Amino acid sequence: MKLKKHITLTKAGIMESLQFRLGTFVMALGNILYLIVVYYLWKAIYASAGTDSVNGMTFSDTLIYLVLATALFNFMEMYTVWEMGRSIQSGKIVLELLKPMEYRSYLFWSNSGAFVTNFVFTFLPTFIAVALVTHGAIHMGLNLLFFLISVIIAISINYSINFIVGTICVYTESIWGINIMKQVIVLLLSGATIPLAFFPETFRKITYYLPFQSIYNAPLSILLNAHPEPKELLVTIGTQLIWAAVLMILSKLFWKVSLRQITVNGG
Amino acid sequence: MSAIIEIKDLTKEFKVLNRREGLKGSIKDLFSRNYKTVRAVDNISMTIQQGEIVGYLGPNGAGKSTTIKMMTGVLEPTSGEIRTNGIVPYANRARNAQEIGVVFGQRSQLWWALPLVESFKILKDIYQIPDEKYNSMLELYGSLVDLEPLLHKPVRQMSLGQRTLSDILAAFLHDPKIVFLDEPTIGLDVSMKSKIRKLIQALNKEKNTTVILTTHDMGDVDALCRRIVIIDKGKMLYDNDIEHLKSFFGSYRTLKIRPDGELSAQAELIGKELPNFSVTADDEWIAILVDEDKSKVIDVLGQLQKSHKIKDMQLEEISTEEVIKKIYEEGVS
Repeated sequence: MKLKKHITLTKAGIMESLQFRLGTFVMALGNILYLIVVYYLWKAIYASAGTDSVNGMTFSDTLIYLVLATALFNFMEMYTVWEMGRSIQSGKIVLELLKPMEYRSYLFWSNSGAFVTNFVFTFLPTFIAVALVTHGAIHMGLNLLFFLISVIIAISINYSINFIVGTICVYTESIWGINIMKQVIVLLLSGATIPLAFFPETFRKITYYLPFQSIYNAPLSILLNAHPEPKELLVTIGTQLIWAAVLMILSKLFWKVSLRQITVNGG
Repeated sequence: MSAIIEIKDLTKEFKVLNRREGLKGSIKDLFSRNYKTVRAVDNISMTIQQGEIVGYLGPNGAGKSTTIKMMTGVLEPTSGEIRTNGIVPYANRARNAQEIGVVFGQRSQLWWALPLVESFKILKDIYQIPDEKYNSMLELYGSLVDLEPLLHKPVRQMSLGQRTLSDILAAFLHDPKIVFLDEPTIGLDVSMKSKIRKLIQALNKEKNTTVILTTHDMGDVDALCRRIVIIDKGKMLYDNDIEHLKSFFGSYRTLKIRPDGELSAQAELIGKELPNFSVTADDEWIAILVDEDKSKVIDVLGQLQKSHKIKDMQLEEISTEEVIKKIYEEGVS
């Protein structure tokens, strides 16, 4: 009975996103353009390097990684920050607070429908295309299962980060700059735009201590590694789990404190 | 009857930054700790019984919405007590939410891309409404309004009237004990207004739901409320039967005319001609407040027509603002 509320919100989200078919097509087109740019950019980088392998990755390794990273990004991208910002600015937040549900989970489940549609319409086709074109660059085995688990944890981490940034809007009432900053930091440090292997040694080490690599780098490395050592797998997913828990607690606490700002000062 | 809302000495203060003028001021404001305290609601007490429809009136910025937000639990009072359904709303927001419904003016709680029936289904699950209760509610709605064409229409394609109607239906769907309606008839035409009033009345009667209604339209108040509460600048001005207030303003009408010539000069002239009336002018009209117990509107008009060429005229019920002005000037006993 309790889960039913959440599933209903997911279903509503799916129905809502299906209303805007044209938007989905335009987004797919934009993606293809982005991937063409990525292809030529990295082709030039490899040509100027003059070797087949840069930082232990061949051109096709890099390309497969980036295509999948883009697909994963399109699937996991959330507009939580915009939505919270708009809600708080327009005062619509009042109506959302008056639902008999916790706001953090109400917002998550309202947006969860988009995950399902994006998974089916962007991630899955890209994944299948890559698998077919590369003939077995993606190992079809147990790694798919671990990948799925890793992605689910990544969604939770990503949501918590978004929710924390969105909560800042309670204080600033403007969200544009903060959101752009978050976007840049997450995309760079998570390995969504450049594989982490290309970072200088110290910088790369730092990124492994930050939560961002758990969003994109962790699931992708699990997916692309056909025969991982159990220990390696455990460390990757364990790190993700720790970050998911820490960020969930942080985002809940931050919201609780900020909610008082709304209820005391009227937002 | 039992008390469903109890409010005692309720006060709400906001801290507002003192803004300075100009670019220099704006930059200074970034570092300013210069706050002033604004008292939006000042020491209000009232008790509302289950099943009442209470008209909550006051000019813009009087503190109506602030009071309602405190009753719903979105705002925390600075001091004083408030209980709805026996619980403190801000401390138990989610539990309180289960027992209240809200329609906030121009904002919709519906899923705007989806047909209305989908919004209803989502609300059904969120509020955990049992099937039989949900079905009987839809049946009731069907008997009150022409529901079928609304149900399958996406909310974004609805007219403002249809959307307001739908929002009201959505607010009543989980059979809450209290429904807050914040200016539900704003911007609607006459026939839609009457439709919505009838709906609110019927739902109140059928479900014994307590309704708190804020409005600027005395027509809403006349049609729905037996009791009205008026606040201004956060203070309670009036809390009594509407009959009592009617004896006060009921016989007043506002006669609005537009004569030839410059309005403010004309108004001054008319003011001299009619020394016993309050005459005011704005950009479009000259307004004359007529007490029909003392003199007939038609006589006043007749007298004016002798000396002025009148291009256009209107007759209006006294407005909330004028009622409040009169209460200020003369007091209510």
